[in-house]
Amino acid sequence: MRAVAAIVGREVRSNFLSPVGYLVAALFAAITGVIFLARTFEQGQPASMRLVFEWGTWLLLFVCPAISMRMIAEEKRMGTWEMLNSCPVSERGIVLGKFLGGMIFLAIVLLPTLVQVLALERYGRPDYGEIACGYLGLLLAGAAYLSSGLLASALCASQVIAFLLTLFFWLGLSLCAKLLPAYVPARWADVAFASDPDPRLRDFAIGLLDTSNIVFFSTLTIFFLIAATRVVRAGRWR
Amino acid sequence: MIQAHGLTKQYGRVTAVDALSFAIPRGRVVGFLGPNGAGKTTTIRMLAGILPPTAGWAEVDGLDVEKHPLEVRRRIGYLPEAAPTYSEMRVIEFLRFRARIFGVERGKRRRNIDLALRRCWLEEVKRRPIHQLSKGYRQRVGLAAALLHQPPVLILDEPTVGLDPTQIREIRGLLRELSQTQTILLSTHILPEVELTCDQIIMIARGRVRAQGSIDDLRTSAERHGRYVIEADSAAAEQALRDLRGAKEVHSQPIDGKWRRITVTAAAGDQDLRERIAALLATVKCSVRELRREAPSLEHLFVTMIAQAEEEAATEANRAGSTGATRAAA
Repeated sequence: MRAVAAIVGREVRSNFLSPVGYLVAALFAAITGVIFLARTFEQGQPASMRLVFEWGTWLLLFVCPAISMRMIAEEKRMGTWEMLNSCPVSERGIVLGKFLGGMIFLAIVLLPTLVQVLALERYGRPDYGEIACGYLGLLLAGAAYLSSGLLASALCASQVIAFLLTLFFWLGLSLCAKLLPAYVPARWADVAFASDPDPRLRDFAIGLLDTSNIVFFSTLTIFFLIAATRVVRAGRWR
Repeated sequence: MIQAHGLTKQYGRVTAVDALSFAIPRGRVVGFLGPNGAGKTTTIRMLAGILPPTAGWAEVDGLDVEKHPLEVRRRIGYLPEAAPTYSEMRVIEFLRFRARIFGVERGKRRRNIDLALRRCWLEEVKRRPIHQLSKGYRQRVGLAAALLHQPPVLILDEPTVGLDPTQIREIRGLLRELSQTQTILLSTHILPEVELTCDQIIMIARGRVRAQGSIDDLRTSAERHGRYVIEADSAAAEQALRDLRGAKEVHSQPIDGKWRRITVTAAAGDQDLRERIAALLATVKCSVRELRREAPSLEHLFVTMIAQAEEEAATEANRAGSTGATRAAA
């Protein structure tokens, strides 16, 4: 456990030791801030973070792969992967440590949006249940994006390819879920429809807490983490 | 302390390491020698539990590497080639990270880090980011990281590559100090380093062990192929030496004035030929101004070993080729 904690700590810090980490956090804060000021923070608008959450999930689609792309691919390029593999930590421990490190960094990226919640509190009466549900949605979507990005990083030697693979996977999933139902039998259309992350994320943003949405993102996250562990282990066996 | 039994690694049809077997007793400093591409790093990775063997097994401190990889890694301080470190971290941060990942208890952590910093002469640069350090310093950071958890076994892959002579001497001193308490496997192709640091040698080429034993033993075996240098003033001397019993090859070349330098290479297994040569030269009417035996170095043994390995490989390739051709003809 101590070894996993060491990896988590290094992973979080490494994001702040490179300009990419600061850039990602600053861009996320700036874009959500602009959306909040332009569309929500106006007289007559409801005291809701809905728009920030809806835009936030789209932004995370770029932010998360940018965080996860270097996790393994960069270590392999720098040669530190061998050093890490000679440490007394299992493949599962490495993957888990990197994922949790990414999640903590993601939480830090989301932190500045709390200023917007404070502003709502100051000038209106926000629904905290809806806000908590929105944050849960962002974290669950972030977890799924990060874990898939981690798998891509384990599979690809290039960080750019790992980034694009993650991005196109989720865009492709959304696109397929929207286009396929028109062309496939009804039974498969249901499956395609259910695999669309967009309506699920919209539910979270509007404060609708549906168990199936939580299960959807959690299952995908666990699946990707297990797959990443397998890929890391298989890499060791080559 | 370290044992390998028929350790084999194949990458597709290429055999990188071929049934390697050796045993390293506790407290020894063993030089693991071989030309580039001989399979040294692959073997070391298998011993460190990073790469699983295709066949065979290895044991470190009585533990099977494949069955107990984490326990084995805890017992090994491994310095990979080029000493990779997280270059964006400061030296002290990197060492703290390594101490935590190796499960060094909080109470001991600081003491171990201080000791490693001191031993590897890093105290002055401990707050510097690693990417700002010279190659020599980075190598030392890697070494300090390998020493941190005070493992009973140290496996060092080319630890002195890129260091200047003073630094090499310092590392050599450190290894000698460490050998009091630790078993060290030192992979290298720098022969003088091995002669000065190690008490045992394993030589490999093309994935197979070609020679192993103590340095003295290997030197004695190399001496069997001794060379004798004679400087005489007559071609008759050369002719006489060609008939010398126990001589494998005789070369002659003219040097200044009337003098010729004649080199006699002894056949394997023969004793000192100097007396016999002297007696023979006395029968020929010539002046002799020098007769000496050249003690063959490890380098000579190393070069001979590589040549033999290459020869073997060529023979095997030919045999495989001719078998294939015969089969095709049939």
